Amino acid sequence: MLNLLLSSDFNCETLAQLLRSNAYEPVCAVAVTPYGQGVGALLQTADEVKDFAVIWTMPENVSPSFARALRFEIFSEENLLSEVSDFAEYIKTYAGKFRAVFVISWTSPCYRRGYGMADLGSRGLRTLMLKMNLNLAEKLQGAAGVFLLDAQRWIETVGGTAYSPKLWYLAKAPFHPAVFKEAARDIKAAMNGVMGNSKKLIILDLDNTLWGGTVGDVGWQNVRLGGHDYIGEAFLDFQKNLKALSRRGILLAIVSKNEEEVAIEALTKHPEMILRPNDFVGWKINWRDKAANIVELAAELNLGLQSMVFIDDNPVERARVHEALPEVYVPSWPSDATLFPSSLLQLDCFDAPYVTREDLSRTESYHDEKHREQIRKTFASHEEWLQSLGTEVTVEAVSEANLVRITQLLNKTNQMNLSTRRMTQRELSDWLQSDNRKLWAFRVKDRIGDLGLTGLITVETSKDDAKVCDFVLSCRAFGRYVEQVMVAVAAEYCSSLGLERLIATYIPTAKNKPCLEFWKSSGFQWNQGDSTFSWTLDKDYPYPQAVHVTGLSKDLADSVGALASAREI
Amino acid sequence: MELKENESSVLSENNLPTENHSVNNEVLTVIYRAMAELNVQLSKNQRLEPSLDTALFGESGTLDSMTLANFIVITEQMLEERFGSKIDLTQDDPFSSTTGHFRTVGSLVVYVSDQLQR
Repeated sequence: MLNLLLSSDFNCETLAQLLRSNAYEPVCAVAVTPYGQGVGALLQTADEVKDFAVIWTMPENVSPSFARALRFEIFSEENLLSEVSDFAEYIKTYAGKFRAVFVISWTSPCYRRGYGMADLGSRGLRTLMLKMNLNLAEKLQGAAGVFLLDAQRWIETVGGTAYSPKLWYLAKAPFHPAVFKEAARDIKAAMNGVMGNSKKLIILDLDNTLWGGTVGDVGWQNVRLGGHDYIGEAFLDFQKNLKALSRRGILLAIVSKNEEEVAIEALTKHPEMILRPNDFVGWKINWRDKAANIVELAAELNLGLQSMVFIDDNPVERARVHEALPEVYVPSWPSDATLFPSSLLQLDCFDAPYVTREDLSRTESYHDEKHREQIRKTFASHEEWLQSLGTEVTVEAVSEANLVRITQLLNKTNQMNLSTRRMTQRELSDWLQSDNRKLWAFRVKDRIGDLGLTGLITVETSKDDAKVCDFVLSCRAFGRYVEQVMVAVAAEYCSSLGLERLIATYIPTAKNKPCLEFWKSSGFQWNQGDSTFSWTLDKDYPYPQAVHVTGLSKDLADSVGALASAREI
Repeated sequence: MELKENESSVLSENNLPTENHSVNNEVLTVIYRAMAELNVQLSKNQRLEPSLDTALFGESGTLDSMTLANFIVITEQMLEERFGSKIDLTQDDPFSSTTGHFRTVGSLVVYVSDQLQR
């Protein structure tokens, strides 16, 4: 079970109870720092290992200058911002003890008018609060594993009763329980994001989901979409929001009971359609059971059901998919189409700590892959096809520029993953501090498109041998000899150190059988008993002829000095 | 949490004013809703059962002081939304284990109904 430390300068026992409960996944064990000690109590956890920490403070307790401002006393803004900076530094000092630290932004009760009409003036309380939060965000920016969560959204969701004076005087809890409920939901979403559990694909129905009406009955010209029609506008905005999500790397697909030709014609021809066929990475438009269609789609896209969200206006269809495929997330969905755009924007299942270049081009990558597949069918042999692609692999050392993507790859890849080690960015950076550990990353492209950074291998050397600790490759790059390039790079390095053997130990999971299959065909000696694969380094491991490799250098050995906090998008 | 079929007769058996059955029923409905809201934060074995005899706070009660405080705030809000008037549930020595109105759900219904009539 995950462990979470909750540190606050007010009574947050309600939040602790909500985080412990199974109302939101993942369930976790929660320890609360003793009331009254606040963030200082983090010092007491020096010897205890926790997965996550949540730090929630009242701004006047962190900043004595802000406390003076609240009392309308003279204060120094410079001191105020300096106090915020000190708080941020304190958090960064201790953040290394946790996989991730969630710091909660500061808010003001709506009943606090401050200077009234002048409160957003240069010395107003609202202005100070904005500056404090902005300064905190800037100082925490780039701190690995530290995330500032927006409490203002929780306050606004609950509304006028968010702050509870009664609860404060009864129990020193400033907020209505509903605020803690919103907080628990967001914190759990953030935990899922850090652990790589955010959803990747939205599967959409068509009739009365992407447009109003049944296209098979009324024709594409008469579906309600856009125009001077309030329902049409709502569907239009829903499509716009879906398109926006796809730009962040969330894939879109269709599962609809329709004639495929009729549905595609609507997507192609309707003048106000925002989403066109090219915006979807796949579809199953037929009269078959939707759950069965989703399973087929998952196999075609090589995505796990647990990475999918299903949106359908029909509660019967939603119930069917939920029952048949419990791994697929089926959010409850309003019957009123005017609520579709906002309901989509509220979903927290896409929360992710970073957005990488590979995320931004994910839809394009899927289309490139389809194009490759179409080309493959024109070749008599797999080898000829591979030669025709002109695959190029660039080898990189770990750096500030690629650490985020490397961490994402490590945590999200299941099938071609030798040991399925999961590490946060900070944990990986710390692990690589040792001189006897190395990481190489692999960027793949061909004449069709750029797959981005899709592979990594890590080794740990000892006196005579080297161990492959991680061997990870995105499914997009399977079976194109990139695997062999990765092994060859590691073997070449280990051979240059005069080591005797390179050994890889396969750790089975429910999903990584493809990795076993690769290693069985790799040329390494397989010891089935202890599931190890070994290569004697007195002979070279051959680089595959079909792949052009660049970026090789003996200087790749030193990756430690290049590490720093990665930039987030 | 819905009002059980026999709850009207149970209300009268608990010496609740019979001429205010409809008010009592509505108060009970609100309290059950508040309990459902509170149960979200409670572990399985702490959750409150929708019954007039359910003990809330005190000797046989399962609520600790923090949870009771939450229950007070939630219930007051729901009562105001339903009846349009503010009821302060923290008056009249609410935490007494012998006379306090948070002893059971039934005692709370009696207290709230009484407050509404004042």
